[in-house]
Order: sequence, then C-alpha cells, then structure tokens
Amino acid sequence: MADLGVMALLLGLALSAYSAVGAVVGEKMRMAELVVSARRALYMTTLTVTIASGALITAFVRNDFSIKYVADHSNTLMDRAFVWVAFYAGNEGSLLYILLTLSIISTLAVWFAPKRLARSMPWTIAILAVIQLFYFGVLTFVASPFELLDSVPVDGRGINPLLTHPGMFSHPPLLMGGLIAITIPFAFVSGALIAGNYGDDWIDVARVSAILAWGVLGTGMLLGAWWAYTILGWGGYWAWDPIENVALMPWLVLTAFIHSIMVQKRRGMFRMWNVALLNIAFVLAQLGMFINRGGPVVSVHSFAASTLGIIFLTFMLASLVFAFALFLWRMPQLKSDRVMESFMSREASFLVNNFLFLAVMAVTLWGVLFPLFSDFARDVSVSVSAPYFDRANGPILLGIVVMMGIGPLLPWRKASARSMKQWFIWPTAVGVLTIVVLVALGMQRPVAIFAFGVVAFVAASISEEWWRGTAARHRTGDNWPMAWWRLVNGNRPRHGGYIVHLSILMLGLGIIGTNFYQQRTDGALELGESLVLDNYRIEYVGNGDSSRPDRIAQWAEMSVYRIDPDDYSTEIEFARSQGSSGFTLEESQPRPNDELISQIQPWHGFYPDFNMASVRSGIRSTIVEDLYVIPRDFLSDGRVSLAVSINPLAWWLWASGPFFILGTMVALWPQAAVERRPTRRKIPDDPEGDI
Amino acid sequence: MASRVPFASTGSRQLPNSSAAFSVAALLLALLVVISGCIREEDITLEQRAHQLSGELMCPVCDAQTIDGSSAQIAIDMRMKVRELLNEGNTNAEVKDYFVFRYGEDILAAPEGSGFNLLAWIVPVVIVFGGIGIALVTIRNMRRSRVQLQPVTERQQADLSGYLAQVDRDMGVSGEAVASEIKAIQDQADEAKS
Repeated sequence: MADLGVMALLLGLALSAYSAVGAVVGEKMRMAELVVSARRALYMTTLTVTIASGALITAFVRNDFSIKYVADHSNTLMDRAFVWVAFYAGNEGSLLYILLTLSIISTLAVWFAPKRLARSMPWTIAILAVIQLFYFGVLTFVASPFELLDSVPVDGRGINPLLTHPGMFSHPPLLMGGLIAITIPFAFVSGALIAGNYGDDWIDVARVSAILAWGVLGTGMLLGAWWAYTILGWGGYWAWDPIENVALMPWLVLTAFIHSIMVQKRRGMFRMWNVALLNIAFVLAQLGMFINRGGPVVSVHSFAASTLGIIFLTFMLASLVFAFALFLWRMPQLKSDRVMESFMSREASFLVNNFLFLAVMAVTLWGVLFPLFSDFARDVSVSVSAPYFDRANGPILLGIVVMMGIGPLLPWRKASARSMKQWFIWPTAVGVLTIVVLVALGMQRPVAIFAFGVVAFVAASISEEWWRGTAARHRTGDNWPMAWWRLVNGNRPRHGGYIVHLSILMLGLGIIGTNFYQQRTDGALELGESLVLDNYRIEYVGNGDSSRPDRIAQWAEMSVYRIDPDDYSTEIEFARSQGSSGFTLEESQPRPNDELISQIQPWHGFYPDFNMASVRSGIRSTIVEDLYVIPRDFLSDGRVSLAVSINPLAWWLWASGPFFILGTMVALWPQAAVERRPTRRKIPDDPEGDI
Repeated sequence: MASRVPFASTGSRQLPNSSAAFSVAALLLALLVVISGCIREEDITLEQRAHQLSGELMCPVCDAQTIDGSSAQIAIDMRMKVRELLNEGNTNAEVKDYFVFRYGEDILAAPEGSGFNLLAWIVPVVIVFGGIGIALVTIRNMRRSRVQLQPVTERQQADLSGYLAQVDRDMGVSGEAVASEIKAIQDQADEAKS
C-alpha cells in the first residue's frame, strides 16, 4: 500500500508540474493542444490523489502498522468508523486530505468554468497546478504519510481521543476544505487579470466559488464551536484560539467580498476593491495553513512540532508577493464604471460594512501577532487571549450587526429622505421598544440590553422587507406562504442573504446570552447529594464504568429537578452570604415539590497513553437556557467534582447553523430557472434594475 | 429596494437633514440616558467574580487556555487561590497583581498596564477609526468626482412610468405616493435646468 501511495503522489507531482508548465507555454506559444493537455493533466492529478488517499485508508482498514502514520494514529481497538477521522488526524494525512479536496474542486471548477472565460483559463489552470504542485512536493519530500517504520509494532498508538466524536467527521474536513477552497475564486480572478480579461466575466464564477468556500468554512467553524461546547468540557464554544482566528480571518474577508461583489455585479463599481479582497482572503488562508503547521503561535489545536513551518511560511510569502504584484500591475485597468452618489446608498453602506469586516480581521491579526511582536520588541512574553478579543472585537461586531439592519433598507444609488423615514421608523421603534421593555423587566448589563435592542432592530428590518414584499404579492392573489416563497425566489442572492442574516442574529442572541448572563458554580457530590444553582437542582443518583484497555472512564447518572427558589430561601441566603452562587444539599434535604425534568449522563474519561482527559458534558437544553454540567473528575473518595453552569440562549447558537446553510444554498441556487420580468429590461439607463 | 425612485439624479443632496430627524435623534438620546439611569446595579456573587477573573488568567502549563477552562491540577489550584484572595477582600486588580508577580506578565490573558502594552489596545482603535475614515473619504471623493448627470428627459420619464408601476405593484405602495415622488423629481429636474 505504501508503495502504491508513494507512486501515485510522484505521478501527481509530475502531472501537476506538466500542467503548470504546459498551460503557460501553450498559452504563450499559441499551442492550443498543449493547453488542452495541461487541462487534462490537471484532471488526472485528481485520480492520483484519490489513489494515494485510497491507499492510506486501506492501510488504516487493514491495520498496516508498518506505515508510521497508521501506527501513530490508530490501533486495533479503534472503531472502524473513525478511519475517516484518523485519515486527517495528523499532519501528513491532513495535508493529503487538503490536496485531495483541492484537486477535486479544481477539476470541477475548470470543468464547469463558463466558456467566456476561455481566454483566461490557461492561467487559472496554471495557478491551480502550481498550488497543487506545492502540496505534492511537500507530501513527497517533506511530510510523506507513507513513511515506513523500521520495525513493525504489534499495535498502533491509537487515535487522539479528543477526535473520537461525531463532530470530528465533519468539522476538520469542512474547515480545511473551506480554507483551501478560497484558492478557486483566487485562481479565476488572478487568471483573468493575467490574461488581461478586465471585464466582469469572472464575477459570477468568483462569487459562486467564494460563497461555497465561505459557507463551508462558516459551517466548519460552527461545527467546531458545537464540538467544543459538547465535548471539550471547558464550558465555552469559542476561545479566540490562534487556530480559530486564522480560520475566522479569511472568512471575514470573504464575507466582505460576497457583499461587495454584488456592488460590482449591479453597479460596475469596486472592481479593484473586490480583487484586493480575494487576494487578502487567499493570503490569509495561506497564513492559516502556516500557523496550523508549526507556526510560531501556541494553540490548543496545533499539530505536534512540525518542521513544515518554514516551508509554509515561504509559500505564504510567495503568494503574498504574487497576489499583490499582480494587483499593482493590473490596478490601472480596474476602474469603476460608475461613481458613488450618496452616503445614503446601498453601495456606500456596503463599503462601510466592508471596512468593518476588515477591521475585525485586522484587530484579530494584531491580537494573534502581538505576543510575537512583544517578544521581539522588548523580550517580554505576553498572552493575548479571549478577554482581549472580546473587548477589542465586540464593539466592531456589534457595529456590523447595526449595519446589517441599515444596509438592506437603503436603495442602490441614493435614498430620499422620505423613503428613509418610511423604512426606518418601524425597525427603530422595535429596537427602542425592546430596550425599554428589557430595562422595565429589570434586566442587568447595559451593553447586553443595547445589543438585544440592535438584534431586534435588524430582525424588524428584515421582517419589514419580507412583510411588504409578501403583502404586495399576496394582494395579487398568491396565498401567504406562496407569496413569500415567490418573493424569495425572485431574488435569491438577496433573500438568501436575509436568511443568513437571520442566522447571524440567532448566533448573536446566543453570544449575548452566554457571554453576559452565564451563571456558574462548582461543587463535589456524594451519591444522593444535590447541587443547586438558580432554579435547578442536580441530584447525583448513580454512576457507571465504561473503561476500556486504552482508557479509564466513568459516567454519572444525574436527575435534574426544577425547584421553587422560595422553598430554599434559607439555603440561598446562606450561600449568598458566603459569596457562592450555588450550594449543595444532603440526601434528606430536598423539598417534596421539586419537579423532575430531565436525566443527564455526564461522562469523564482519561487516556493514559495520551495523558489526556476527555469529557462529555451533561446538557439539558431549552430555547431559553441550557443547564450544562461538566464532570471535572471522579474523586477517589467516591465523590464527583462538577462544574455547573446555566448558559442562557445557548440553544440559539446551534439553531443558527441550519439557517446559515439554508440561506447560503438559497443565495447560491442558480437563478436561470427564474422567470424574468420583461419590464426590467426596458429601462434604458439602469440595466441592472433595482430588484 | 427602499427608494421607489431610483432616477433622482439631479445633483442636489437629499439627505434627511430636516429638523424632524434631529428631534427624533435628540429624543432617542434622551431616552437612552433615561434608560441607562434605570438600569439596576449589577449584583454578582463572589463566585461569579472568581469565574470572571479565572477567565482572565492563563493556565501556565496548558496551550492557550485560561485556568477557567482547564482541568490541569495547577489550574484547579489557581482557581482556588483566586477564590481565596477574593474572600480576603482583595480587588480584581490585586488578585491579578498577585499572579503577575509570581508567574510573569504572560499569566494575564490580555495585556494590561501601560507603555508598550498600550499598543495592543490603541492599534484596534486606530484600525477602526482609520478604516471608517478611509471609507467615508473614499465615498466623498467618489461623489465629488462624479460627472454631472443628465436630468430625466420626458422620454425616459415615459419609459420609467411602466417600471415604477411594476415596482409599485410589487411593493404595494399606493399610486398617489409614487405619483408625488415622481413629481418631486420632475420639480428638481426643472430646477436643475433653470
């Protein structure tokens, strides 16, 4: 198997080199056949990577421990389902996975590229081939997944226990796939620029491929957050860890791009800007690859010390130089067709939103690099972690949400005072009313109350648009759901965008709730004892052992009761006086009218071979709040040590996921099938219309 | 989407700068002041404070984790120490100083203090205001450099009415409203001509 894999990778190396050289030479020497063969060579690399990947997977399935990578990342105890996870669990395998993704999407992109891009395709092919060549080179010469061991061990080391979770089937592949998929729009646009194809031919293909990469990356991050919340057991879902940040940064830039590309599509403006955004996103993706592979920044995610750092750093710098040299070279040709007419226009609001997205990106980058900078400048180590990013990025993110409510209500070109008043009155009223009601209800934390007001404002502005559009169609005879569906169908990019905006609002609710209103307490319980926090009582009723040869694992059976705090007023008062949020009760103390609402089974495991603990939190989730129980440890005296928290609105974080995916798919769905209203075409001066 | 009259290219500004807009803004501001006055003082327990503080201290032996999230023994001990120091009546700053003195500056999850570390906090502010400044200046320059657009001609107006009627139907805006909007544009166009 190892030989087959090595041979396939070598063949792929040769093919991608041929493809890169062939495309360029063929284009320069006007040899059409050479370009065709370069294109087919690019298709063939997919075959070779697939064979190499198949070889590695087969080796895993057969427990072929003569291959170092297999021995390091699996053992005979491993559930066969996790072969797919083990495939990308380590450095070499994940590189192979990235190359597999890249070659498949390159083939698809080149295959389905529109005819009118024919002139720039040789360059696009060459760029894709060069990037593939880089990965083939790394996999062949530096980090081969097929390296053999001198002596074959009886059993492998086993898979990293943190990865044995269903979320791992999709989170890492989506994240890595999303990062590498940014290559596609970058290759299309760079190819067009090199070929001197300055028109807007590349808009649609760049937009679609960028949204795909963006959607995949976004879904990957969300799944990562979900995995962290349910399994990592630190009670959070987003830690602003360097690896999270390097995935977030290109995502933010892509978000800016998929907004401002619409300005180019509709108004012929922002050409230069859009090219620059794609370049930045691509270079940031390379930065992500670099930091992932033995970069200089500490992270919980990093692959074990890898010598690849310098190679990926070089590649990142090379792509930086290439992208910006190309940009500077072609900049004079990238002028706008039209000019900005007003601050009160959709294009102006998109520009502001773009700068805000870039600001979050830049602040995040600054936070990631600051420890290195401090080390370098004055030889003092500092840490830059979640509290920094929360404080520095929080206000900008809130500003972006505000823009999310304003931008869509502004028309292209210029808004009149009258229409502004007409459209903004209702959302503003809803936002202010929300704040007033929350204050009247006695809510604490002014910042959070304001943020809730902003969320309500944006939600109202989206519903206003949907309400007016749907009502208009309803009057023409459609029933309500049909009218709404026709409205969405009539302009999918726009209304898909609104669905994504709604998902972001849901995410926002979860972030505000968990960040500002979380309640926590710690405690250790004997069997029969209870821990009380707010109006929950958690009783430790039993436990079990699920150890295996490779792990020591126990789970606790816990009953969750809803209590009336009035029943426990003395205990609550005493706990408060001690400065505690919660308190423990002995077996005889619970009041009779506590209501049993749920059973949870928090689980705690320890893997001696990895010196690693792994937990499954016990979660009782409702749309209002999650009761979240982390088993910290099973103590030797029979007690279980718990960290319990109430995470308000956490449910909404995960509910946003399906809406995010749905909205992305609606925005991407080909528009061709939609009937176009002829009236739009008749307008002489405004071919793009204002739909 | 909002404006039903996308052809108002007469060159005159149409910002909502009426006194009504200002009084609404003033009202909102006053409301916010009143609201912020009504907001209750936060009451959080010592334990909540301890958790918040634990989230601001790094675990010395873990990679990029705070002691709040880590289950390493040293993190557990440090959490207990935080609680103990708070129980003794120390302020958050005193607790942080305690750990900085023992573990060095990088025990703090976010750089604090003065001098060089201020850079960590100033740069984001510069980025945000610089970025928004660049965006606004760009828009202004683009507006200034624009060509003088032609006023709407009669023929265009005729073409326009069909379109507006369609938009009108889609949006459910009343015919009169659109008619008056069109009239406003024509008035402006006339002004520009004269």
